[in-house]
Amino acid sequence: MALIEASSVSRNVATTAGELQILSPLSLAINAGEVVAIVGTSGSGKSTLLSLLAGLDLPSTGDITIDNVKLNDLDEEQRAILRGEKIGFIFQSFLLIQSLTALENVMLPAELAGSRNAEKQARELLDKVGLSDRLTHYPNQLSGGEQQRVAIARAFIGQPQILFADEPTGNLDSVTGGKVEALLFELNREYGTTLVMVTHDDKLAERCDRILRLSAGELLESNNG
Amino acid sequence: MGDRTAEIGGANDAGKQTNWHKISWRLLKHELRRGELTIMAAAVALAVCAVLSLSVFSERLQLGLVERSAEFLAADRILRSRGDEVPTEWLQRAQQENVASARRVTFNSMAFANDELALVDVKAVSDGYPLRGHLETADEPFTQGVVAEGLPGPGETWVQGSLFQQLNLNLGDTLEVGDSEFIVTRVLSHEPDAGFNVFADSPTVLIHFDGLAATGLIQPGSRVNYNYLFAGSPADLQRFENWLLPQLDEVSQRWRNVQDGDSPLSAALERAERFMLLASLLGVVLAATAVAVAAQRYAQRNFDAVAVMKTLGGRKSQVAKIFTLHLLLLTSASIILGLILGIALQAAVVGWVSGALGYSLPATGSGPYVLAIATGLLCALMFSLYPLLRLLKVPPLRVLRRDLTASGLSRWLHWIISGGTIFLLMVIYSGSAMLSLALFAGGVLAMALLLSISRLFIRASRQAGMQAGSSWRLAMAGLQRRAKENSMQMLSFSVAVMLFLLVLALRHELLEDWRGQLPDDAPNYFVVNVANQQAAPMQAMFERENLPATAMYPIVPGRLTAINGTPVRDAVSKEERDDSEYREGFGRELQLTWQADLPEENTLREGRWFAEGETGVSVESQVADRIGVGIGDELTFLIGADEFSVPVTNIRNVDWNTMQPNFYMVFSPNLIDNMPATYIASFHLPEERRPELYSLFREFPQASLIDVDDILQQVRDVINHVSLAVTFVMVLVIGAGALVLVAQVQASLEEREQELVILRTLGARAALLTRSITYEFVVLGALAGVIATIAMELSIFMLQTQVFNMEASFHWRFWILGPLVGAGVVALLGWSVCWRLLRQQTGNLIRQLT
Repeated sequence: MALIEASSVSRNVATTAGELQILSPLSLAINAGEVVAIVGTSGSGKSTLLSLLAGLDLPSTGDITIDNVKLNDLDEEQRAILRGEKIGFIFQSFLLIQSLTALENVMLPAELAGSRNAEKQARELLDKVGLSDRLTHYPNQLSGGEQQRVAIARAFIGQPQILFADEPTGNLDSVTGGKVEALLFELNREYGTTLVMVTHDDKLAERCDRILRLSAGELLESNNG
Repeated sequence: MGDRTAEIGGANDAGKQTNWHKISWRLLKHELRRGELTIMAAAVALAVCAVLSLSVFSERLQLGLVERSAEFLAADRILRSRGDEVPTEWLQRAQQENVASARRVTFNSMAFANDELALVDVKAVSDGYPLRGHLETADEPFTQGVVAEGLPGPGETWVQGSLFQQLNLNLGDTLEVGDSEFIVTRVLSHEPDAGFNVFADSPTVLIHFDGLAATGLIQPGSRVNYNYLFAGSPADLQRFENWLLPQLDEVSQRWRNVQDGDSPLSAALERAERFMLLASLLGVVLAATAVAVAAQRYAQRNFDAVAVMKTLGGRKSQVAKIFTLHLLLLTSASIILGLILGIALQAAVVGWVSGALGYSLPATGSGPYVLAIATGLLCALMFSLYPLLRLLKVPPLRVLRRDLTASGLSRWLHWIISGGTIFLLMVIYSGSAMLSLALFAGGVLAMALLLSISRLFIRASRQAGMQAGSSWRLAMAGLQRRAKENSMQMLSFSVAVMLFLLVLALRHELLEDWRGQLPDDAPNYFVVNVANQQAAPMQAMFERENLPATAMYPIVPGRLTAINGTPVRDAVSKEERDDSEYREGFGRELQLTWQADLPEENTLREGRWFAEGETGVSVESQVADRIGVGIGDELTFLIGADEFSVPVTNIRNVDWNTMQPNFYMVFSPNLIDNMPATYIASFHLPEERRPELYSLFREFPQASLIDVDDILQQVRDVINHVSLAVTFVMVLVIGAGALVLVAQVQASLEEREQELVILRTLGARAALLTRSITYEFVVLGALAGVIATIAMELSIFMLQTQVFNMEASFHWRFWILGPLVGAGVVALLGWSVCWRLLRQQTGNLIRQLT
């Protein structure tokens, strides 16, 4: 049974020149525990697909289901709850909240979900990503690699079923990127999370179970990696 | 599956109750520590502090002045009755209501001593007098007295210094008044209710009320003023007043209180109060602007945080609660801070002013506190409402599409909320919807005008910049590129600079105006009853002794008997009820004078001054209005046995606050100059030369001296303290203006941070960037200064002519000061923020941006 399913999903946007299709109708299924890379050139629609699969945006046509819940049937509020319960995120630009410390950033999703031992979980995770000595640092006091490790810890705190990563190493040099990549795969294995990752990096894509290749809004192939 | 979601969701609901406030508190704590919210908090605190300290201070000052004015009446309320006593039941009622009362009966009579005769003002008072203020007596005439306990005993009298001079009196001499004889036991040096009327003031002879009947001077038909003095707490007085007023006879009885505005100070105080009100409103508007700018910046900085929270499962309601609580906590903390500062500030100022005044200012009620808290809440909540609403609208998709901001919220909403709030504040402060509407409409018009002018200027400056060096070119290019943002910025710079200039100019005008009325050498003595042949020697004495004096004005007593042939009583009888005071003044004796030239400090309202050889009379404007005469009307006067008619040649405005002889009627020189006249003048005698007074006037025994130093001193006191208050208000407004500037410069630099980083990364030298930004701000600030000066000049013209009843004036200094202050302050702020930014490593900056 697929954990994420998209059938005939497309996305159009209104422009001054009329309706523009940025994602042609496509269907796909991702199974629980699978590690999938979405690749393609800039503007090919990778991030749009990611935003639809994660319920951050709704498709113009077609349906997406996550764990048998149809996203189209949910309003913004219910999708937020669903994300809080099942989904974790890692972004290229880290997107840590600047006025919260590393520890508090990691605690945030757990606290929003009402967890009572958010702090304990956050400390353990920061320890795992090797930042137990950086708990009270603010994002701007951390290096790029450290910030992304905080983001990874934040992504895993809710023990999500699915992790969406948007160019997780895109802002990092190759050495730091490599370390972050290794950490991400290690934690993914440990928690048995389904990972959907948008990347430019072919080497990173090749480490995945499957590669979805997009070009000009069309899904070209869906290969096992 | 659905069941599982519901189950987890339910558990979450309970948990969420406990967690959102923790997140909110944490965000606030860190942002406060990092200084992100400093400007917003400072603006709210400043508004609260300003409003509280100002309103407490002005209320206490006003209460203090009312108290002082009460001393001038010797009571809180006076019932004046003409020719008859009031029912004793009225006085009993006062006693029942805990209102103290005393009697004061005054009339003119002749007094004899040492074979000399003088016209005196007999004042018989009962125990308890004065109910407010105090009497002072001395051992010698014209010396500093000490506070007197009680009243003259039976058979005793205290008399004013000038009578000692007139009658060659010494302490212990006997003074005959009517059928009674009194021993002069003290020199009466100060009466709280002395009043001030140069012509009517004969020296006071103070006796006890119990001795009055024995003088035999009160006969049916005598002109006697019966005054009943009352004093008590405001509430008791109010109850008594409510009971008494309906029973008064409108024609013969008059109820006076201290707010009746008889004081020469009332105009000055009214202006000061309006100024403070206006200035605190301006201060609040400035603070609100700072809040709005800071809140917008704050919201923009938190767009990502909201998007991330929503992405990570935060519900809209949770996010709303987090940021609303955040705002409420910030507001409460700022209000509390503002209250503490305000209380401290007003205590310091009141302490200082009380020390200088020599009496402590009374405490105030809770009104100012309520006003300050309401202002703080309105400022903080209403001006950050729109940014907050926008913040909550940020979609989670922003985490992937960085350009997304809040959509679906019209900017009009912002204008409506802010405009509505400012209007509401105006109504609260001015207490008048009409005035607020006028001010508000004027403000909106001015804003629109300012906005168009600033866009025009920016466009023009681009042209100028093209011919300049690289820093300038970069600066002008920047200015032009951000024309829209810049014109908004320029608007707020202009408003800040304008309000600052406005308060500065108004303060200057008010102080000058007051000082002009009462220069240091303002006359503090009047000399009256100067015989014709002594006028010239006295003038020579003033010159010899180096005493600044006015001209000697001749006085001929006379009466106005008819207007255009109609006897006066009939001509004005329809006004009898409204103003029996004036009527009496005109039915009886008038002090008439003649002058070849318009007296100093008088201005013509209608008509022209007498041409040479022309006969006519010049009438004081208020009198002309009351008796209803205009240019060309024929007035008939009776002087001695001669009756004659003259046309009204002109109507004069007289400033009664000046300490110089002022007249209702001034004739052309050729008309009454053959009549027997006495002369009057006023002069200034420095405090340290006071002891010489007696010897200076020894050669003029018939002349009487009237000491107005006390009145002058009080006027000066009040003006000094109001000036202080006005300066204090100005400092607060400057503070609020500075906050707006800082907030705006910070916000605008944040907008150009990205560009700075790019230029820096491309190798632009810090000096070039700093210079270009500083130049950009110099131009912005200078333009704002020019616009502000224009707007200030227009506003001050409106305020002077419409609100403060002053002469309009032009302020050329501000045309230099405005642009200089604008350019200097804005550039300095821009430079300092930019410098801080550029001190950081480029890599660090890039990281902050991404």
